[in-house]
Amino acid sequence: MNRVVVTGIGVVSPIGSTREKFWSGLIAARSGIGPISVASADRLTTRIAAQVLDFDPSQHFDPKRENLLDRFSQFAVVAARAAVRDAELDITEEMALQAATIVGNAAGGQNSVDESYFKLYGQNSPRVHPLTIPRWMINAAVSQVSMDLGIKGPTYTIASACASGTHAIGHAFQLVRTGQAPIALAGGTESCLTVGTIKCWEALRVLSADTCRPFSKTRSGLVLGEGAAMVVLETRERAVARGAPIYAELLGFGMSADAGDIIAIDSDGAARAMRAALVDAHVNPEDVDYVNAHGTGTALNDRSETVALRKAFGASAERLAVSSSKGVLGHGLGAAGAFEFAATALALHTQTIPPTANFEEVDPDCDLDFVPNVARNATIQNAMSSSFAFGGLNAVLVLSRA
Amino acid sequence: MAIIDDVKSIISKSLKIPAERLTADARLDELGAESLDVIEIIFALEEKFNISIPFKADESPQRSLAGKNGGDEIQISTVGALVDVVNKLVEAKVPR
Repeated sequence: MNRVVVTGIGVVSPIGSTREKFWSGLIAARSGIGPISVASADRLTTRIAAQVLDFDPSQHFDPKRENLLDRFSQFAVVAARAAVRDAELDITEEMALQAATIVGNAAGGQNSVDESYFKLYGQNSPRVHPLTIPRWMINAAVSQVSMDLGIKGPTYTIASACASGTHAIGHAFQLVRTGQAPIALAGGTESCLTVGTIKCWEALRVLSADTCRPFSKTRSGLVLGEGAAMVVLETRERAVARGAPIYAELLGFGMSADAGDIIAIDSDGAARAMRAALVDAHVNPEDVDYVNAHGTGTALNDRSETVALRKAFGASAERLAVSSSKGVLGHGLGAAGAFEFAATALALHTQTIPPTANFEEVDPDCDLDFVPNVARNATIQNAMSSSFAFGGLNAVLVLSRA
Repeated sequence: MAIIDDVKSIISKSLKIPAERLTADARLDELGAESLDVIEIIFALEEKFNISIPFKADESPQRSLAGKNGGDEIQISTVGALVDVVNKLVEAKVPR
């Protein structure tokens, strides 16, 4: 079994589209949540979102390429290029034939769907754009990454809603660990902030009207976000041999399904995934210092996740530092797990715990150390990044200091 | 006449080729049009003239179509042929 390390991180996020801006925003608890800016916003009740506002596709794609890519694919390609650059990786033809690319995504090319359906239903147009399907298909993002970078090995999309990014990185980890791929590019992407999609989220009645306050007694729901994060994973041997920057080592991956409620998180299922990840990593619960939680900011998730952490960690839950990045990034859905994996790797790299932003008041039902509002320097040997998706699909990764 | 200019303008924009080069016998494939370019050009023409061009992307542009609907086979392999197709479809829209 190979040891697997993280050597490159690329992001397109609501708090900036460089690794540096992403990390400084998380550390400063500078929220990317703001007034919503989408077409036909007057049809929405929701007034806020965590949007990527500084993204100009024409800076990254010539007009012909841009025309082929929905925004969720554009995000993935730009983040993937940044990750490869960050890893100082030269993808040779031999490496390209074996390298893997796995991208998590929940909703596909919703911008293209929305545009075409608006023409069809809203404007009674007899025709829609001929490239709607290649832009919309949920594997478009990973295909575009593969085409852009010339990666020709195992390439696919993982769809597990809000755990997609974590599942994607976990599977890429397994490919590199077992030697099926010498190197992998993995992460998640999402861009579904259209009036149609947001309206459907409103109907589910889980959105916050003001902001996202994970684990705070005053929390009021989740805030939708968007963006992408991609990481380069490779064997430690290769990374050391080529003198690559190493952010963290990836030790374990755990998965589970609740087989219960389609929406509500089940603390047993979540705890099973955490324990599976610890077992896979050969790390004892008491040796974990930091958990980047799913922490959506809904009443139910944060309460159940606290219970799950106690079930998985037992008495050592008391000494855990736990934080959610969603007060800053919103809920990136298919990108969320990848954002949070990147944050966890950077926490290990910098030995700094990013805080839980917008934290106002302790909830007796959420009684762990949630690192409220202020980043903390700490010795972090092992850390965990966890995602618990709608549909009861759970994915957890365990990392250690490189 | 207006239609030929509009057709040339759409092709020119899509393929990034000056309209002057779009002579009647210039073949779309020789001008560099790939399959996605062709369906985008067709779409733009349909939008512009509010017509429906019976073209299937998985058939050769030289022998496309319409026979199935009982109409004449259309062929759009050259700029001139495409102009003719658009002309006929626009004409057919005018009430007699």
